[in-house]
Amino acid sequence: MKFLIEDVTVYFPYDHIYPEQYCYMIELKRTLDAKGHCLLEMPTGTGKTIALLSLITSYCLSKPQSPMKLIYCTRTVHEMEKTLAELKILHNYQIKHLGPQARILAIGLSSRKNLCVNPTVVAAENRDSVDAGCRKLTASWVRALASENPDVAMCEFFENYEKAASAAVLPPGVYTLQELRAFGKEKGWCPYFLARHMVQFANVVVYSYQYLLDPKVAGIISKEMQKESVVVFDEAHNIDNVCIEALSVSVRRKTLEGATWNLSRISQEIDRFKATDASILRAEYNRLVEGLALRGNLPITDNWLSNPALPDDILKEAVPGNIRRAEHFLHVLRRLVQYLSGRLDTENVEKESPVGFVASLSSHAGIDQKTLKFCYDRLHSLMLTLEITDTDEFLHIQTICDFATLVGTYGRGFSIIIEPFDERMPHIPDPVLQLSCHDASLAIKPVFDRFQSVLITSGTLSPIDLYPRLLNFHPVVSRSFTMSLTRDCICPMVLTRGSDQLPVSTKFDMRSDPGVVRNYGKLLLEMVSVVPDGIVCFFVSYSYMDGIINTWNDSGILKLVFIETQDVVETTLALDNYRRACDSGRGAVFFSVARGKVAEGIDFDRHYGRLVIMIGVPFQYTLSKILLARLEYLRDTFQIKEGDFLTFDALRQAAQCVGRVIRSKADYGMMIFADKRYSRHDKRSKLPSWILSHLQDANLNLSTDMALHIAREFLKKMAQPYDKTGSSDKKTLLSQEELEKLGDGSMHEMSY
Amino acid sequence: MNNGAGRRINGGAEEDEDEDDVNGDLDAWERTYTDERSWESLQEDESGMLRPIDNQALYHSQYRQRLRSLSSTAARIQKGLIRYLYIVIDLSRAASEMDFRPSRIAVIAKHVETFIREFFYQNPLSQVGIVTIKDGVAHCLTDIGGSPESHINALMKKLECSGDSSLQNALDLVDGYLNQIPSYGHREVLILYSALSTCDPGDIMDTIQKCRKSKIRCSVIGLAAEMFICKHLCQETGGTYSVALDESHFKELILEHAPPPPAIAEFAVANLIKMGFPQRAAEGSISICSCHKEAKVGAGYTCPRCKARACELPTECCVCGLTLVSSPHLARSYHHLFPIAPFDEVTSSHLNNPNCKLQRNCFGCQQSLLDPGNKPGPAIVCPKCKRYFCLDCDIYIHESLHNCPGCDSLRHS
Repeated sequence: MKFLIEDVTVYFPYDHIYPEQYCYMIELKRTLDAKGHCLLEMPTGTGKTIALLSLITSYCLSKPQSPMKLIYCTRTVHEMEKTLAELKILHNYQIKHLGPQARILAIGLSSRKNLCVNPTVVAAENRDSVDAGCRKLTASWVRALASENPDVAMCEFFENYEKAASAAVLPPGVYTLQELRAFGKEKGWCPYFLARHMVQFANVVVYSYQYLLDPKVAGIISKEMQKESVVVFDEAHNIDNVCIEALSVSVRRKTLEGATWNLSRISQEIDRFKATDASILRAEYNRLVEGLALRGNLPITDNWLSNPALPDDILKEAVPGNIRRAEHFLHVLRRLVQYLSGRLDTENVEKESPVGFVASLSSHAGIDQKTLKFCYDRLHSLMLTLEITDTDEFLHIQTICDFATLVGTYGRGFSIIIEPFDERMPHIPDPVLQLSCHDASLAIKPVFDRFQSVLITSGTLSPIDLYPRLLNFHPVVSRSFTMSLTRDCICPMVLTRGSDQLPVSTKFDMRSDPGVVRNYGKLLLEMVSVVPDGIVCFFVSYSYMDGIINTWNDSGILKLVFIETQDVVETTLALDNYRRACDSGRGAVFFSVARGKVAEGIDFDRHYGRLVIMIGVPFQYTLSKILLARLEYLRDTFQIKEGDFLTFDALRQAAQCVGRVIRSKADYGMMIFADKRYSRHDKRSKLPSWILSHLQDANLNLSTDMALHIAREFLKKMAQPYDKTGSSDKKTLLSQEELEKLGDGSMHEMSY
Repeated sequence: MNNGAGRRINGGAEEDEDEDDVNGDLDAWERTYTDERSWESLQEDESGMLRPIDNQALYHSQYRQRLRSLSSTAARIQKGLIRYLYIVIDLSRAASEMDFRPSRIAVIAKHVETFIREFFYQNPLSQVGIVTIKDGVAHCLTDIGGSPESHINALMKKLECSGDSSLQNALDLVDGYLNQIPSYGHREVLILYSALSTCDPGDIMDTIQKCRKSKIRCSVIGLAAEMFICKHLCQETGGTYSVALDESHFKELILEHAPPPPAIAEFAVANLIKMGFPQRAAEGSISICSCHKEAKVGAGYTCPRCKARACELPTECCVCGLTLVSSPHLARSYHHLFPIAPFDEVTSSHLNNPNCKLQRNCFGCQQSLLDPGNKPGPAIVCPKCKRYFCLDCDIYIHESLHNCPGCDSLRHS
């Protein structure tokens, strides 16, 4: 269907549209007009992605004089593929209505692991080995060697791509990763490098968060994006954590050992080069004197990682004299590793600011701040000079240099925490030195500065006013939409008491009480007997889950139980079997952990999740030193109270967990918040509005037997056939005519 | 960094005060009354006595609505008149639950009885068998046959519930039986499922495909909640899936299965079937009954081909295998193919019109269509013969008679 939003004709590939999608588009359009940033919350299953894509592409089409690029960031490869598939539908629709002028180029960019078509390379098991395998075949010196010696292996796809040179372009269209690979295979071009090249020309680029947020990667991939771009972060409720992780480094004993080993290998290499061809080292020295800026004219395959600091600072300055010579640099690194391992030997928990750390480093090891700052680039340059291709072997020393550069660059917003052992297991020494970033705005700041509009959107962004403070930006629009439903297909409940009327909670002083554990067990058992197919049960932590399952072990449970573990492969297997059990009508319960992989990325839609039980409030581990340091920083810098942040974080995790069950309007599911703390207003009010609006007052303070009764009635009600479009007074699907009839005014009433 | 050791920052102290806010939640006993609102169905008459409201009008309007919804879909479609239906009753542990009063299984048994009677009334040419699932095993309670009494008696004897339920076992069993049915018969399974899971020995998806291949139409009525596998089964085999809200809803749902369903298109080939119309034996004649294997006196039917005696019609002759029916049975099935068109409602002004004096009385029962207060009551008119009927006659004509007296009398005169 086609309709007008203010002055933009929107092409929407479906015949009907949800009212909230329409509202969403209006807000989006205003953001684009204002060239500002925005925050939008809309429940999952309401077609966020397609609304977003169709508005932005239509906006570009209506304003051909100012071309805009859409950069769409997703969290997983799976989501990337889904987005591209939707875009494809939209694109076909637009071409049908507008003809060839609507043609765009849209590609997805992912790591080599997902794009490589060379059978020998892609067979490697993890991402780093695929990267290294590719470099072994495509690095410039390997290819130079191969031109002399035909026995040296090369990647034929890359060679073909190089030969085609500027002729290697993708014709306009929408390419999913799959299609990109197929295209590459057919033409014999390397899809990865082709995609990397085409990113500059594409109208729509879909890739992972890291390509924009992690400065190491962003420097290469996203450097050339124009300012007139719209950046979308989808499913962005955890964006602050992603930002923080991008700038945090942890060093363990193993890292240091690996680094020492790496250093000795590098020194061997240097010796070898000195013996055979000293001129290369000298050439590098000369280049470093002139500054790192010249690095730009290295061939594209060679620049694999870039500086984690802000590039401008570094490129202007020349590399300090004491690390220009390769041997000197190695000495510096050795001293740094030694110093770090000395620090790790500590018996106590230590916390330090980067400034203090640098000061002590320079007094003990004689390394000053400026030297530290350059470590990463210097190592990078050295490895290129030494023609090292198996980069996956050198991850440890890279981590150390990454750490050094971060410490050297940022004085604020970080802290260094050394813990001699894991808090939970004080008997096993496992020293770890963590450089943790507290300020999410550091990593995302360049994105906000550089691009015209940044859209942050997700199903759960409540409370919406906290995000601008955490990320330190000023949105022009921030809104939360509710879901218009033909029937009350979600049924949230707050369960505060067991059937014996004793309160249940995972509060620290109550959680190990046998009565509470028994009540939780009873709740699950009784629910299992009334809910068909799949049930998902989220716990606050692995340790609590283990404990509680052990306690329940005696009682027999009707359904099959699957448990998420920290092992990814095991979890995937458990999930597969869980799905099979649900499909075959056996029914199953999946035990999982809030903040785990399952809570973040796996959907339990339709019969895979008829009920979610959230046992307890998923607060973070509040005694963790990193969290305490971060809370302190947040309080001092952004005036966010500790309690507020913790509650916000816990509730967003809880909402994320329960949001897994409902993925479309035809779906239905129940959510049980099993903790008495949820009935308190300050906790409850932080849930997203689409859950709150269905949370009736009567369901706020339930005991197990009452919840059971409600569940029975709800399931029966939901099993009745229903009318998809909704009755006349409660329209949830709008056709084109209805949409045209609706003025702006009435639409606003419907939105939140 | 030692201040964090003893403290937990999640709003510690104030948490203990319990906000036991009084919510307007109704107790369970109250809720049943709010739903029914039984006090509203009472009214006071002139002498101050309480008596139930005459809710016939309501009943009529509901009936009209149902009729309309049925007729809208009922264009001339082919229907399977000769049905071979297996009723699968889940006797697992879940069937003994008490959420239906007195228990699920009691309610099921009660309505299965009504259903079987209604089924044979509407489909005299069809046959029924009963299968039960108990302890994960499916048993054939009664073989497929045409006698309602024998099924009902057998069912009422076996109503204990225990163990798990297995959909696959039941389907396998039924599939085995129904595969032997001649091709003109329509194979159907109606599953009354109380459990919320199924414990199967193998892959149920294979079994579902097998049922689909042997063209068995599987329908499920659930008693607790929607189950994916049941829905899948019904979708695959062209059946209907419904979940009962309460007892009356359950009755409605099960009775929906009494009229013959539309035939599966690919399967609906026209076929000629050999049938025998046996004569009723003379009173007092003694013969050996072929179904009971003993000598019986009087009241039997004699197969026209082999002269064996059968006790009831319709049935299949035990000796020569001929289908034995009587002509009223055929006639009763006939109306499913040619239903009477629904009657139109008459506006009251039309009724008051002095021009059509004749039509002041119902053509069926000859009662006046006017109310005691001489106000026009509700009336309807047959679109073909333009005769007027009262609502009671309308229901009688459509539900039981299946002939319009007006049209029939026109043809005679």
